[in-house]
Amino acid sequence: MRNLTRRSILGAGTVMGAGLLTGGFPRFAGAQAKEITVTAFGGVWEEAVRTCFVAPFEQKTGAKANVSLGGPPQWLAQVEADPQDPPVDVLIMTPDLALSAAKADLVDDFTVANLPNLAKTPQELTDSVAGKGTIFDYGVGGITFNKETVSQPPKSFHEFVDRVSKGEFVASVPSISYAVTPIMLIWAMAKALGGGVDNVDPFFEAMAKMKDNLVFWGAPNDFFNQMSSGEADVGIYFDGRTWNHYDSGATWIDFLNPEEGGSLNGVAVQKPKNADPLAWTYINEILDARNQEKFADIMNYGVTNTDVKYSEKLNGRITPWQKTAFPPYEEIAKVRNDWVDRWNREIGR
Amino acid sequence: MRRNQSSLPDVALLAFVVLFFVFMLAPILVVVVVSFTSAGFVAFPIPGWSTKWFARIFEYRPFIDALIVSIEVAIGATLLSCLLGVPACLYLARSRAKWANAVMTFLLSPLSMPMIVIGFASLFFLSAIGIGVSFTALLIAHTVVCLPYVLRTVAGVYAGLPRSYEEAAAILGASPLAVFWHVTLPLIRPGIMAGSLFSFLTSFDNLPISYFFGSADTNTLPVVMLSYLEHQFDPSVAALSTLQLLLAVIALIVVDRIYGIDRMTVSS
Repeated sequence: MRNLTRRSILGAGTVMGAGLLTGGFPRFAGAQAKEITVTAFGGVWEEAVRTCFVAPFEQKTGAKANVSLGGPPQWLAQVEADPQDPPVDVLIMTPDLALSAAKADLVDDFTVANLPNLAKTPQELTDSVAGKGTIFDYGVGGITFNKETVSQPPKSFHEFVDRVSKGEFVASVPSISYAVTPIMLIWAMAKALGGGVDNVDPFFEAMAKMKDNLVFWGAPNDFFNQMSSGEADVGIYFDGRTWNHYDSGATWIDFLNPEEGGSLNGVAVQKPKNADPLAWTYINEILDARNQEKFADIMNYGVTNTDVKYSEKLNGRITPWQKTAFPPYEEIAKVRNDWVDRWNREIGR
Repeated sequence: MRRNQSSLPDVALLAFVVLFFVFMLAPILVVVVVSFTSAGFVAFPIPGWSTKWFARIFEYRPFIDALIVSIEVAIGATLLSCLLGVPACLYLARSRAKWANAVMTFLLSPLSMPMIVIGFASLFFLSAIGIGVSFTALLIAHTVVCLPYVLRTVAGVYAGLPRSYEEAAAILGASPLAVFWHVTLPLIRPGIMAGSLFSFLTSFDNLPISYFFGSADTNTLPVVMLSYLEHQFDPSVAALSTLQLLLAVIALIVVDRIYGIDRMTVSS
């Protein structure tokens, strides 16, 4: 944005030090077209962002949106380090980090005046990140299973716990090293078993009962390795990732939303304070119904604009957000460390 | 009987070494095999053979862009480490000043600090002085962690050299620059080469520092691979790892042919 680029340094200087000092500020010098920097996860996510949001934005404004790949902790740290001149103009965040950004007053309020398409996004999804952003995309943490080995999958968290405890099958659940585990597993299962944010005893009791028939996944890809190798038959996982895996050829895999409701794991969009005002136009494109339909079709995840009409393929796959368990992100953030500590003491994996 | 007794430890040692190498290399072999799978997802054993995931590396532009950035920053950080590290070593390795050890320890300290802490702290410091998220910042941060490798190896070689070589050249009328160029530099070259190799590899593989300085045009390969894995399960990252492995092996062969790996570890 305002600094030297690698080309200016390595290409220009015959002397490294001189190159560092005099490589120039090509973005200032060559500032012909307006540019903003937006964020995305890599791979299919980035390709979907370019197709569904960047392309219409660039077409409408004539400006360029550079896509920075990475992850929410990285982008939040970058904005926190330089709030007066944030290096990214649009943040893609997990709800807990979105709340941290909101509390630190690093991001702007979302209003319909700035974002006309916000009117088509349910208010709860904006309120969940303190009105300083909104959830535009979500997955559900439910039950993924191997159809070939589990013909009668558990329909609820209750049934899941009972049958895994009895050794009917081996289940794979996220380990505590995975950032979303406190929400998608601890809170979701505790709530389903009669507890909640203030009482996660039912979850830890259930884990103690299931411990002989559990394996843990540390990263999302581990889960598929465990399922394809036969190490696990069923597990707690995300719907969108499951369907992507199905579409890539793993037709033996299936997903269901537990009767109690799997946790909603949202992706929020935010605008850092002092970021380029053109970011509002880009975010408005993210919240647009037609763009979200295309995004959902590529990603197999639910989107939040109320005018969205899912394709036939997605209709049987997407769980409406109202049928999920909506996590109290703010309350969970307060007790998260205690849960992690208890997990380490009682489960240790 | 006596012969059997003496050979038993040898057999046990051989078995241990073989098992050790199998243990170390088997996961790498699995990655290489998986990179040739015909399946659309990572699974082992593989259902069939295909090179499509290597094609995917070149189709997905961020992989190639990030690979170029990684190579550029690794070369830049290695050059800077040598430019800063070699003169520092020449002075500090033989200095009798009390503070010389303290300065050397300070320069080596990044080795004993978690890289994620260095990355996080560098981001805030460099942002505070106006450099922020940029290639310059990435290069500075990488140099901080690469410098100790050059320092360690060059200081090790230089401290072991007798002073008499340089003194003889000086007595014979060589200027300090001539002494350095014709005597010192050839003698410490193995240390510089070894340090440069470590430095390059440390920078090339680095994730925790690069992570904080990633932007649209400064993302390195490990950052893009991590981000890719967040939502993608295809074996293209395995193919990319195989390609990286191949590049490293080719680089080692080239270095060995041009310079000699042995000379990097044994002072000539």
